[in-house]
Amino acid sequence: MPITPPVDTIDYRRRQKIGRIVQRLVIVVSAIVLAAYILAPVSWLVSSAFQTETEIVSIPPHWIPEEPTLRNFEAIFSAGNDEPVTYETRSGADPAAGDFIPSTAENLLPSMANSLIVSILVVILNLLVGVPAAYAIAKIRFWGRNASVYFILITRVIPDIALVVPFFLVIRKLGMLDTLGSLVITYLAITVPFTVFILIQYFEGLPDELDKAARVDGCSRLQALIKVFLPLSLPSLVAVVLFTFLTSWNEFLLALMFTQTSASQTLPILLASFTSDFTVSFSFLNAAGVLAVVPPVIVAIVFERYIVSGLTAGAVKG
Amino acid sequence: MARIRFTNVNKKYANGFHAVRDLNLDIEDREFIVLLGPSGCGKSTTLNMIAGLEEVSDGDLIFDEQVVNYVPPHKRDVAMVFQSYALYPHKTVYDNIGFGLKMRNASKEEIDERVQDAAKKLEISHLLDRRPSQLSGGQRQRVALGRAMVRDPSVFLMDEPLSNLDAALRISMRAEIKELHRAMETTFVYVTHDQAEALTLADRIVVMNDGVVQQIGTPDDIYERPANTFVASFLGSPPINYFDGVLEAGPDDEMAFVRDGLRLVLPADHAARLKGQEGRAVRLGIRAEDVAEGTAEPGYNALSGTVNSVLPVGSDQYLGMDFGGEELFFRVGKDLRHAFGESITLAVDLNRLHVFDRETGQSLIWNAA
Repeated sequence: MPITPPVDTIDYRRRQKIGRIVQRLVIVVSAIVLAAYILAPVSWLVSSAFQTETEIVSIPPHWIPEEPTLRNFEAIFSAGNDEPVTYETRSGADPAAGDFIPSTAENLLPSMANSLIVSILVVILNLLVGVPAAYAIAKIRFWGRNASVYFILITRVIPDIALVVPFFLVIRKLGMLDTLGSLVITYLAITVPFTVFILIQYFEGLPDELDKAARVDGCSRLQALIKVFLPLSLPSLVAVVLFTFLTSWNEFLLALMFTQTSASQTLPILLASFTSDFTVSFSFLNAAGVLAVVPPVIVAIVFERYIVSGLTAGAVKG
Repeated sequence: MARIRFTNVNKKYANGFHAVRDLNLDIEDREFIVLLGPSGCGKSTTLNMIAGLEEVSDGDLIFDEQVVNYVPPHKRDVAMVFQSYALYPHKTVYDNIGFGLKMRNASKEEIDERVQDAAKKLEISHLLDRRPSQLSGGQRQRVALGRAMVRDPSVFLMDEPLSNLDAALRISMRAEIKELHRAMETTFVYVTHDQAEALTLADRIVVMNDGVVQQIGTPDDIYERPANTFVASFLGSPPINYFDGVLEAGPDDEMAFVRDGLRLVLPADHAARLKGQEGRAVRLGIRAEDVAEGTAEPGYNALSGTVNSVLPVGSDQYLGMDFGGEELFFRVGKDLRHAFGESITLAVDLNRLHVFDRETGQSLIWNAA
């Protein structure tokens, strides 16, 4: 007797197919909406950096510049070459044409250099301090080991704003106000716990036997760390590098407190100061914004392939 | 070459766990010692102390004449094979094997010569460019062995190196390890919970439980003359059968084990060792293979009961027997045909009986000498 499929089966099959199409549709639409939400401000920043002041404020806004110009960038790189920007020298300028450049414009490139120095130093010191600390906590049994992990975590529970005043008092006492050192020290205090925590998770996921094998094979603890653990920890190291670099690059609150002059001001502080000048030049500000985004984007592109696996590996004990 | 001595060695962890207690052990140069025991008995901790991976909490660990309690692993001339192989995943097989030599600043030529030599011996020359992830379990095991043997160490340590392999490969690797020991002429310390590995490989076996050495002896000593019920139970498949009774003296210095409806007359040398112990509550041990289906009179030097299971295992069969409410397991020839519920009488090999104190579990025969 031939077997006839129950009528219901056909219904279910169709429903399943439709369900799959709907599911894919929802995912694609959501992804597009999310991408647009995230990319729209960045796109506008980049687009407007190549527009004149007049075009920026035109309604409706031009997402693609009608008359692309590099003069905003020229203004940045030539700032400081001419006579100093004062209220008087700019009184004849035409605001609509974007001739107003901020009085602190000449500090833009030095502040970028400051940001770069601070970020790179924080990354290097983070690795120098965080890697051995995480290895010790993950692989060496010692009294107070668990307590030290909790202690490290607790430091991240305290909001940064609560730390500003104590940090300020310490930095002032050390005579380090308005120096890059003050930023490096305070950024380390914020980022090292994260670095140690993420690396502990990763190191704990690597078998103890690897450590033992390396030591029996002739490595000291430090050599085992450098020759065996670090090459295997590349993804989490990259995650740490990115996190610390971006945190230091973008940090605003502490930099605002501790820096006063171009000797130590970082990019976020300077960019913010442009908005509180006599007149705001959006074209100049946006061009500066684009420059501020470039280094983190380069870092992200270089290390992009490691980012996801690094974070996952650190988050889940494998 | 190294002689290893443990003198009253203890290992206590920070959490208070006492992993090894009062260990006294003398491992001769070129000896193959197997540390045998269940999980958590302290055998791997002992091995790790030899490697320098665990500190000695108390007592002395001596290599030849030097106390090495505080000598770090990289300063001891030991090599180790781990249960999980612990190959470096980012290095090729060649670099894995040569890593120990590189760390000891051997020249490139020497590293190459030794790695090629070890690879040839282990038949893995064709795998030298691969990474561990591209190897099978057996191949990884060989690489791990190669990494250890290439250094020509004074002490060769192995921590359950075969437990991740399948049964057939395990047996062939056992033979290779035995051959390796013969060829390398160095001290081997091998940890396992597998009695068959211990019995086939060891010159001497150290049986451990709860951090305490239960018995040290040759495989024959350990199997034939177990010092206590733990050792007797740990070796043997199926495990040794126990039942409780008392000792009873008979005429002409005879000594017998007696319980309801059963009287087993102990051989003269056992009786001599048990002299004066009549009336003592004891636990009798009969190994699974120490019976034969015989014509013995039920209740006298023979066990009678009913068959409650028959488990063929190829070469022979395991016979489950209900003996006065207790279940006993014996290994009998596969020619015997018995059905469930059938009555059976098995003659006991009296010369191979084991008598233990019921309270302490210590052997009254082998510890009496």
